[in-house]
Amino acid sequence: MTEPSRRDFLRVGGLALAGVGFVPNRPMRSAALEVIEMRSDALGAHVWFDPIGLYVEPGTTLRWVVRENVHTTTAYHPKNDHHPLRIPERAAPWDSGYLVNPGDHFEVRLTTPGVYDYYCVPHEAAGMVGRIVVGSALGPGAQPFDYWTGRPGTEHWRRVPDAARASLPSIERIVAAHRVRPHLAPPRRGGHE
Amino acid sequence: MKRLARIALAGVIGAGMLIISADAVAAQQKAPPGGAYKEVSTLVPLPSFLPGLGTLYVDPATLPAGPFLAYDHQGSLVSSIYMIPLKDMNARKAFTGLKVGHERADHVDIVYNAGHPGVAEPHYHVIVWYVSPERAATLAK
Repeated sequence: MTEPSRRDFLRVGGLALAGVGFVPNRPMRSAALEVIEMRSDALGAHVWFDPIGLYVEPGTTLRWVVRENVHTTTAYHPKNDHHPLRIPERAAPWDSGYLVNPGDHFEVRLTTPGVYDYYCVPHEAAGMVGRIVVGSALGPGAQPFDYWTGRPGTEHWRRVPDAARASLPSIERIVAAHRVRPHLAPPRRGGHE
Repeated sequence: MKRLARIALAGVIGAGMLIISADAVAAQQKAPPGGAYKEVSTLVPLPSFLPGLGTLYVDPATLPAGPFLAYDHQGSLVSSIYMIPLKDMNARKAFTGLKVGHERADHVDIVYNAGHPGVAEPHYHVIVWYVSPERAATLAK
């Protein structure tokens, strides 16, 4: 399994040192860990995060793992190519960069309660997005997609694509089920929804 | 007489262009194709060999349509791929005069793709295969 690049390690590690709730990979860990798979069919026609919706407690580490194709996990945040803010204001954004090979992975530890929406850079327009509710349904991610329209300083923010809007499960559904799988996902043995 | 000379000159130039074109096609039958073509994995973060397609080369000036020249594990040309964004289709944009990699095609696949580095938006792959479906299937891994 490939570790995050040195660049990502330094960037994420630096954010952790700044106290914003991110940590790089650590082999020894006592806190909760949730895995989100980054999937694709053989033709690259259908792509998805599995689960697409997840409820976790603050302090949980999220690990995104590539199974097929090339993906990123990238927070909806203006620092990420002018995307709208859809994570808590006090949380720092993340961007894994391209994860190219099966098994490549990236981790983020989320400590600030709220809703975190994220996307895959090459597949956002196709609807490859995900939502994590950390403790409570708070923050910009709990607002309608266009809540920022007309506000000063948001002139360069990009609209969330229609396919991404249609893909994200509702916060209510995530809170009720704790784990929401995408429609395209194959059945998982012994498993969740 | 002058007219005849002009026609003869045009014929020579035309024949020369055909020879150059045929030479270029011949040179592309084995990887790397040379010229302005670059291996796609050196331009964007993609694996060198893409399952189902092969090792791709493209002239960056022709993006996003291409052609992308695809080669099998032995370095033999197997297809030319043209990547056409849905938004360009919806805008009724025309793509004309696209180059080919071989004089003779075996079959054509038209396949939707959700996006990838380099063409990070939904698009279609128009794949002009120069090998049989059976041989194309060997590119799966």
